[in-house]
Amino acid sequence: MLEELRQTCRALLADGKADVVIGYAQDDPAMPAYPVFVTRPEDADRLVWNEMCLPNLVAYLTRPEIKALGKPAVVVKGCDERALVVLAREGQVDRGEMVAIGVACDGVGKPREAKCSICDVHQPRYADVVMGQAKNEPVDAAARYAEVEEFLKKTPVERMAFWREELSRCVKCYACRQVCPLCYCTRCIADKNQPQCIDTSATLKGNFAWHLTRAFHLAGRCAGCDECTRACPVGINLRLLNLTLARSAEAQFGYRSGMDPEAKPVVGSYSLQDKEEFIR
Amino acid sequence: MSESNGFEPRIVAYVCNWCTYLGADLAGTNRLEYPPNIRIIRLPCTGRIDFNLIVKAFEMGADSVLVSGCHPGDCHYTAGNYHARRRWMLFRDLLDAMGIDLRRIHFTWISAAEGKKFQRVVTEITEQTRALGPYEDYRKVVEGGAC
Amino acid sequence: MSEIISQEKLRRLVGEWISAGKRVYGPRRPKPGPVLYAWLKAADELLLDGYVRPANSIKEVVFPRHEVLYSYRLEGKKISMGEPEPLSAERIVVGARPCDAASLTILDHVFNWDYKDSFYNRRRELTTVITVACSRHDAHCFCTSVGLAPDAERGSDVLLIDLGDGSYEARCVTEKGRKLLAGLTEQSSKTGRVPPGPEPKFDPSEIRSILEGNFDSPLWQELTLRCMGCGACSYSCPTCHCFDIADEGNARAGARARNWDSCQFGLFTLHASGHNPRTRQGQRQRQRLLHKFSIYPAKFGEVLCTGCGNCTRNCPVSLGVQTVLQQAVKRVPVTNGSETAAKSA
Repeated sequence: MLEELRQTCRALLADGKADVVIGYAQDDPAMPAYPVFVTRPEDADRLVWNEMCLPNLVAYLTRPEIKALGKPAVVVKGCDERALVVLAREGQVDRGEMVAIGVACDGVGKPREAKCSICDVHQPRYADVVMGQAKNEPVDAAARYAEVEEFLKKTPVERMAFWREELSRCVKCYACRQVCPLCYCTRCIADKNQPQCIDTSATLKGNFAWHLTRAFHLAGRCAGCDECTRACPVGINLRLLNLTLARSAEAQFGYRSGMDPEAKPVVGSYSLQDKEEFIR
Repeated sequence: MSESNGFEPRIVAYVCNWCTYLGADLAGTNRLEYPPNIRIIRLPCTGRIDFNLIVKAFEMGADSVLVSGCHPGDCHYTAGNYHARRRWMLFRDLLDAMGIDLRRIHFTWISAAEGKKFQRVVTEITEQTRALGPYEDYRKVVEGGAC
Repeated sequence: MSEIISQEKLRRLVGEWISAGKRVYGPRRPKPGPVLYAWLKAADELLLDGYVRPANSIKEVVFPRHEVLYSYRLEGKKISMGEPEPLSAERIVVGARPCDAASLTILDHVFNWDYKDSFYNRRRELTTVITVACSRHDAHCFCTSVGLAPDAERGSDVLLIDLGDGSYEARCVTEKGRKLLAGLTEQSSKTGRVPPGPEPKFDPSEIRSILEGNFDSPLWQELTLRCMGCGACSYSCPTCHCFDIADEGNARAGARARNWDSCQFGLFTLHASGHNPRTRQGQRQRQRLLHKFSIYPAKFGEVLCTGCGNCTRNCPVSLGVQTVLQQAVKRVPVTNGSETAAKSA
């Protein structure tokens, strides 16, 4: 599969079908693979594919420095591809002006990432070309949100105590925002200071405000790639926060982001039948 | 006024200009009494209400928050309240997961003709909040200071 | 003759210090995941083995992530200003690594250069550092490349060396250290030795020439194209010290505070006019390296880096100082007498 991947990328670059291939390279098999931007066909040999290929390369498609390199071809795992579907739906990438190279994936990370045990997109579904074969077994919602269900067994007081402890470690490095493929706003609300909607200070007030905002701005959009959780230098369980809203979107609207390119996004559309039992 | 412990709930209400605000006005012109605990903030439409405003109200010391607008189908801007409703459906689950007290956040549809409903809702919310007591949890977060 | 102290006794001391109202900062693992330095609430939180080094640094003790400079309160027409309570609690860092302790002496320069930073200095005065020498390292460590070592004493008040039998040799490096452990150690004939540290990966003076001689090279953009512009490297770095002043509050009360900032943020150099001298991540990364390996040494005589490796460990895309500099050394033509060929990647 690796040789097929390299050959595909070599050909894309040689034929001018892509100006840059965004893929993975690796210096040491024991170390995580890292993103690489290959512009010459002969450099396609730098590309690797293995279970240490963690970063979500779709995040680069909205960065100006990368867009300046020209028409991109990007290597995507199933989870990464979900983010690509959302980006296309939101008009941030033109699917016709890029090539998505899907790679069948059995799970990444050593130890294996938590997201992999509930994955139902091992085989990318919307890429332009797919390397390898994997099976997409459906995962039922109870398994998908087991972590959230478990968490919700805590009382509200316990929940707040949990988040107070988790968010007290936040240093406001914004790694979560920067690695997220869907945090592409050129001017984030957290960077606005007239008025200051979200305190930049790493106080509980500022940290709660930031994480509530980021989680909600991803409501119904988060693709579940968990890069934010991996990138957090202090180990905050952002996955739990994102899963909470994903569960809400699926339970209330039957919606999972990035699964169907034609589906209407949850926030930004509405239905006359939306339930309002909580509204007097 | 409560004579027991002197706690007067502070309720922040984000209301839409075309329905609920006029409904509140109608309550006023009809001399319908309602508790003075409510602070009304007028916005053009519930669709404009950023969820952060709810959080900010708690940050600033509100004990309860009311969000109110036009009935579905009656929005002055056609669909603002539909968008708002959808957001609220998701936002409540997020707040619940954070441990924020959902009993202190109220959503209603009150039209310009429903002065009586405004009086009833505000009275109910004030009494409910009085029974719940001051909202200490979020204030403790805000006053938490440096981590 | 040496002084020794058992791990058990050290832990008991930590418990006593905490009960006595002193603030103890040490490594703990809050839940499965990274080991982090934090203010300890109990002695059994202290984690002394089973990891290479914590994912953050001890700079929080002298340079907190959020520090109120002064506050205001408005009552009607009356404005009252307030200053934070003067600090009085003693702070003891237990279980620092040599690459963390050394950062304090490096940071002392910038916080006492043209302005004596009273906030930093007060915390520094109140802090005593007990360092544990490294008995292992990983591929990301490079302290030996920047003049340090697994048992370097710089910045430490006490250096503990694991004797392998549940106790440490305690070397009191400063008067503060001697005072802290007075009467609490035992005499012994045992002395500790640490395994050698990592092989030096590069030479800082060579790095300095490369950085200074290649400012306009497209190399920096190429090497750092994958940088996502987060602050994980800066915030977990023991020597990064840039800060932002933020005014936060409302019409009733508020405060002016100093918060950590990172040169990797796009907003870092954004001018009020809207002009930004560093619009690309390559420029921002180049700046970070220059600051650490050229500007700071030129001004203060030392490299602004202790080789701890946190930048690489925490980087979501495996960048970090060591990675970039090793690549730079390979890629830049070296003129050294007869040796003029460009080393290829």
